Amino acid sequence: MTAMARVRAGWQHANRRGDVSAAAMALAPAVILFAIFNIYPLIYSGYLSVMEWDGFSPDKSYVGLDNYRALYESATFRNALSVTLKYTLSVAVLGVAVSLVIAVLLNSGVRGQNIYRLVYFLPVVTSTVAAAVVWRYLMTPGTGYADVFLRDLGITPPNPTWLRNPTWALRIVMLVGIWKRLGFNIVIYLAGLQNIPKEFYEAATVDGAGIWARFRHITVPLISPITLLLVIMSIIDSFLIFDVVYVMTDGGPIGTTEVVGLLLYREAFRYFNLGTASAMGWVIFALVFAITLVQWKFFGTREAGL
Amino acid sequence: MKRASLILVIAALLLAAPVLQGFSQAQVASAQDPIKLVFWNYWDGTNGEKIQELVDRYNEEHPEVEIENVFVGWGELLPKLQLAVAGGDAPDLAAADMVWMPALANSGALVPLNSFIEASGTDTSDFYPALLSVNTYNDQIYGLPVSTNNLELFINTDLFEAAGLDASTPPTTWDELAADAAQCANPDNGVVGMELYTQPGEGLTWQFQVYLWGAGGDFLSEDLTQAAFNSEAGLKALNFWLSLIDSGAYTLSDWGLFGQGQACMVLDGSWMVGGMAESAPFNWTTAAMPAPADGQPATNMGGEHAFIMAQDEAKQQAAWDFINWLTSTDVQIEWDEATAFMPVRDSVATNEAYVTWINENEPRLLPFVDMQQYAHNRPPVEQYSELSDVFSAMIERALYGQMDPQEALDAAEAAVNSLLS
Repeated sequence: MTAMARVRAGWQHANRRGDVSAAAMALAPAVILFAIFNIYPLIYSGYLSVMEWDGFSPDKSYVGLDNYRALYESATFRNALSVTLKYTLSVAVLGVAVSLVIAVLLNSGVRGQNIYRLVYFLPVVTSTVAAAVVWRYLMTPGTGYADVFLRDLGITPPNPTWLRNPTWALRIVMLVGIWKRLGFNIVIYLAGLQNIPKEFYEAATVDGAGIWARFRHITVPLISPITLLLVIMSIIDSFLIFDVVYVMTDGGPIGTTEVVGLLLYREAFRYFNLGTASAMGWVIFALVFAITLVQWKFFGTREAGL
Repeated sequence: MKRASLILVIAALLLAAPVLQGFSQAQVASAQDPIKLVFWNYWDGTNGEKIQELVDRYNEEHPEVEIENVFVGWGELLPKLQLAVAGGDAPDLAAADMVWMPALANSGALVPLNSFIEASGTDTSDFYPALLSVNTYNDQIYGLPVSTNNLELFINTDLFEAAGLDASTPPTTWDELAADAAQCANPDNGVVGMELYTQPGEGLTWQFQVYLWGAGGDFLSEDLTQAAFNSEAGLKALNFWLSLIDSGAYTLSDWGLFGQGQACMVLDGSWMVGGMAESAPFNWTTAAMPAPADGQPATNMGGEHAFIMAQDEAKQQAAWDFINWLTSTDVQIEWDEATAFMPVRDSVATNEAYVTWINENEPRLLPFVDMQQYAHNRPPVEQYSELSDVFSAMIERALYGQMDPQEALDAAEAAVNSLLS
């Protein structure tokens, strides 16, 4: 009996006994947990988003779409959306592109590949808050390694200092975001690269294609389903950025790193406006949902073959 | 299928075990068991050790009560309280930042203390009125001050000497402060003369208020209904900060330079004295915060207040007894000596033994004790946190040259007034 036939026989066996309930039992824990921790909060925050509530008092009052209207009119929220988008796009595009290049280099038979993999993967398994604290330490004005290093080279560090500098702060946060995801992207890419048949490269080489042509016309198109997956995952994760910014800049300077997650946290836990915070949550949810749908619609189906 | 049902039975038993266990424990519990109280606070380091010691001693002396002292970080305390109240799992008592008290008292989650205060004959007039006012809402008192502190000038004497300055004659006016700071700054090594708190948020606001009050201004109107900082004094304070940036005495930077030996002076709290005395790798001293030559001495006060959230009456009484003990004069003297907090009661500040103790053990606390009488209180309004954030965001814009000072104060005034309306 082939493996496939055995699985099919197993299913028929189960169906014959009419034991769908066993399947339901097996799925129940996951479904229940998902419902409790994802579906319920989602619905409840939707309900809160049309209420005014301080998070303590037993009374909530219905305010209709006022919370959403206030967000639409708020310059702070618009700024936060634009900062979040800038961050998300940079991390998704740059992060994925850089990791593809590194993955291809690693895949080309560099010595000590495993050590490189380890080095690139370490940030992924490091606690984000711990990593952000270390990065902040590196960027400390005066005594931080970044400043000391630049001074040794005879270069004056920026004024205002790194994380207080409107030009640099967001770039550094983006750098941390890219660095943190790099290892994950590389590992997924490496797995994908193994699946591209060697014959394609051999044939192309015979036809006189150089390294760039092979990368451009074989690797990039054949790896594109993985690229799509990584871009979507990066966008979803990056859109929800909070911890790195909270630790490193707290949204400053002059709002240049003020992402939506941070505003949401402040509204909910510092100003006690649970309604406004929930409305923000729903705006983020709707945006991420829409972006993901569009990506699957336009790019997903075309590549579904691989 | 047999195996599947066996697994399900085992799983069900495993899930039920904690419930059954809890049930049997509840059955065993009887009247003689001590009343258990959970006490949340964010005191850490020396302060955390001292509060633990006090709680332990109280538990020993009062076998009928068992208080569990739980550390919750400053940043997490409010969100955790909120979640705990929503989940019906709030601590029985807690101590929190005085600046949160108006919002907490207004939330309905705190137990009013008036009847307890009357029953135990506690004299609340001994507490400083400015401290007590943040806990008072609709004529009810919702908390008692446990600790307070204020901001004064810290001086790195090593950097001062290197720049040819003498820390034994600290600056006494804003002009002297600016001159000393400019002379002491060393941009080549990233050393600033006078460190300012320029990240938006309460840190900026509460430091700026010291300059505002020093220049003779006020933050909100007396009836707390509108902004009062958009005044000559407000402009003077903001221009003074800008002049420190322009002269190179300060570089826009993350807070914390003084602690790293990268700032000659800083305005910081009395709570820094204990830790710095132990571990600062440089020599330092303190002085009263200067005011403008035609201004008035001023500083900002902070601190923690204890309040009750327990629903059960027996627990409320037990929690009150502990708070009443913790804020009593004798315990307060012991607490202030161990933590370098400032007195919350007049009877502590004027206590001869306490004053002698400071003179002998840590004279660097003296400027703080002397200046406590000039300490202002941040306006006790419910919206304070948000108000402080929008105010600081506008001041930050002026510091970065995005707005001119008057424009920034106008914008901050409009934003604050719309929050208060």
